Amino acid sequence: MKKKLIRRSIRKEFNGWWAISLIGATVILLPILFVFSSLFFKPNENWFHIREYLLGTYVKETLLLVFSTGVLTAVLGVTLAWLVTAYDFPLKRFFRWGLILPLAIPPYIAAYTYRTMLSYTGIVQATLRNEFDYQMNPEWLNISSLRGAIFIFTLFLYPYVFLITRAFLEHQSASFFENARLLGRKPFSIFIKVVLPLSRPAIVGGVVLVIYEVLSDYGVTSYFGIHTITTAIFQTWFGMYDVNTAMRLAAWLMLIVVGMFIIERLLRSRQRYHLPAKSRPLAAMKLKRFSAAAAFTYCFAVFSVGFLIPFVQLIAWTALTFDEVWNDTFFTLVYQTLYVAFISTLLIMILAVIVANVCRKQSAFSYFLAKWVTTGYSIPGAIVAIGVLALFIGLDERLAPLYAMMGMEDAPLILSLSIVMLIVGYVIRFMATGYNAIEVGFEKIGTKYTEASRVLGQGVTKTFFKVDLPLVKGAIFSGFILTFVEICKELPLALLLRPFNFETLSTKTYQFAKDERIHEASVSSLIIIAISMLSIIVLQMINKKVKE
Amino acid sequence: MKIVDIQNLVFSFSSTSEPVINGVSLSIMKDEIVGILGPSGSGKSTLLRLIAGLEMPWQGSIHVAEKPVVSEKLFIQPEDRGVGMVFQDYALFPHMTVNENIMFGLSRLPRKERKPRVMEMLELVKMEEFSERYPHELSGGQQQRVSLARALAPKPNVLLMDEPFSNLDADLKAEIREDLRVILKKANITCIIVTHDRQDVESICDRSIVFGQREEVMN
Ligand SMILES: Nc1ncnc2c1ncn2[C@@H]1O[C@H](COP(=O)(O)OP(=O)(O)OP(=O)(O)O)[C@@H](O)[C@H]1O
Ligand SMILES: [Mg+2]
Repeated sequence: MKKKLIRRSIRKEFNGWWAISLIGATVILLPILFVFSSLFFKPNENWFHIREYLLGTYVKETLLLVFSTGVLTAVLGVTLAWLVTAYDFPLKRFFRWGLILPLAIPPYIAAYTYRTMLSYTGIVQATLRNEFDYQMNPEWLNISSLRGAIFIFTLFLYPYVFLITRAFLEHQSASFFENARLLGRKPFSIFIKVVLPLSRPAIVGGVVLVIYEVLSDYGVTSYFGIHTITTAIFQTWFGMYDVNTAMRLAAWLMLIVVGMFIIERLLRSRQRYHLPAKSRPLAAMKLKRFSAAAAFTYCFAVFSVGFLIPFVQLIAWTALTFDEVWNDTFFTLVYQTLYVAFISTLLIMILAVIVANVCRKQSAFSYFLAKWVTTGYSIPGAIVAIGVLALFIGLDERLAPLYAMMGMEDAPLILSLSIVMLIVGYVIRFMATGYNAIEVGFEKIGTKYTEASRVLGQGVTKTFFKVDLPLVKGAIFSGFILTFVEICKELPLALLLRPFNFETLSTKTYQFAKDERIHEASVSSLIIIAISMLSIIVLQMINKKVKE
Repeated sequence: MKIVDIQNLVFSFSSTSEPVINGVSLSIMKDEIVGILGPSGSGKSTLLRLIAGLEMPWQGSIHVAEKPVVSEKLFIQPEDRGVGMVFQDYALFPHMTVNENIMFGLSRLPRKERKPRVMEMLELVKMEEFSERYPHELSGGQQQRVSLARALAPKPNVLLMDEPFSNLDADLKAEIREDLRVILKKANITCIIVTHDRQDVESICDRSIVFGQREEVMN
């Protein structure tokens, strides 16, 4: 009886849309499963060596980095968010969005900019020496350390916490805070006793994003010579071409990610972070002279260090080298980057639209499918990269006879040397960015138009093109931009999966910085920053629309 | 001829919850206008959705125009059932004009016959001069007429209407009730109307079925 019903359901629901979704989901999950499968292979000597002498350091430095950055971004993000929502002070309206801008500067660009500025020949020491005749202890300004990395990550990733917490606080009903004020609480005590506990889910949500970024990072940590698991994965591959050991390391990293995930759940203590319904928002309180000056100074300091100073420095360097760098080779580089990002984004959006459309009808199965295709975002780039790499090398081995048949005996590696590998990596890693945007779009229109169209005689596919697509095209557009920007900025995947001699803006910037050709790196850095700002603008526009 | 024939229908939203529809059987004859009355939450909307093919029953069968559309082995997709529906909030496509909305259901008609059919429908609901407007430029009553025209245009075997008056204010209601009966009779259509209001039934329907209690009332 039951079986008959299940068969009928499958016949009813199954169509091309499901087929494509399942294929896409499989492609996305395979590399990740591959990483885990490495645990069942026999480890080799390299692994024993690493486990014996190095793994302890890797894990320790990774955890130190993650926890310190997590705590500091929370402090910075929450205090700033509370200041700009609850108080009025000079330029507050500007800071409301200006404090998001550090997000436009990828940490690896910030890292080399600051290291150079603080070096012996950099502007800071040079000015002190020449203008004030003061020789600073170089150790104080040595940023190539764990401390330095924490500094960079904190300043350039705190906007995640800031953004989410600010949105959350702005939607809170004023009565929470006013009650506390009426009860005679001092502002500081309100912050500790009311604001912090109330916005905990939002804070945790923001910090988790920060931590994912830190775990994914390769640029800052490798540049500063810090030993995290991610850098170890890269070194094992680039230094020894040992995929299996790299995968074992990746599996360890995955363990940390899973640990974070569990901690996150516990910290949220079953409170899901969601914006409450519209209620009277908190009226900002005007600050008096001294407090206003203090609030302004704090915001301005963070804004300067997190955006203004590195940005101006990059512009100054660009002015020095613009003529040298701005040539045909550079145009090719920009073109390649945008081209690959465009193709990858297009694939992501097509697959995301198909899967999201299938998942509109709620069922346990569609819930899993949606989680499944978006896992890539919570998995550090290095893991995705090494999984994809191993998968493609494996595929090439399998396909070798086929290549031979096609007369390509001398080319045993076809797929793993092609751009396809990088594109697959991007699709897996950034699927979630596109998918979430589209899901929001579908939720907004609901299912009534789709149902009306079906009853009027149009099948699933016709309905999609005539009704669903025109109604969610705004969401698709913003999802496209956000994903495109993420891909343009991305470093670790690109470094590991790009074909030989293929450079993107981010890999080239990293290469320049590594080779101490700092000034030449500035032009491509500025372009990346400009592209990133695009996504901030899009986010602002979406916010505005939602408000109206 | 039985246009809709429902046998022993059972439906619930999940395998663990109480059935919303539990063993319902009923049949509707050709050209009848039948009202379905019942308290809120009694499953009236769900019944219409089952007939239209927007939900799938656990047990039982439905025939439309003497063809099976759902049974335990079979499920005909909504687009192939020949059932028209007027949604509670009309669900007019916001990105299409009145003309385009009505034209939407006519894709199975030869191209040449579509335009005249749209005109015919506009005339039937007296909306000729609004054909180029977008739904958000129409009043609630006008939207309802367009939605009715859109549902009738493909000549469905049966028309389902879910609370057609719930979005209209009281003055308008009396007026539109009368129009609706005229339109439905002119269109020669079999119709099932779900409503809260016994008066709706009295002024429009030939017969009514009360949901929630086991009672069938003849007008
Ligand atoms: N998508 C859904 N998921 C779960 N339960 C649902 C869903 N839609 C409706 N229900 C439940 O099914 C029952 C019947 O709903 P239905 O909408 O058919 O009632 P109704 O008779 O049309 O009520 P009303 O007169 O208020 O429109 C209700 O108890 C409702 O809570
Ligand atoms: Mg209802």
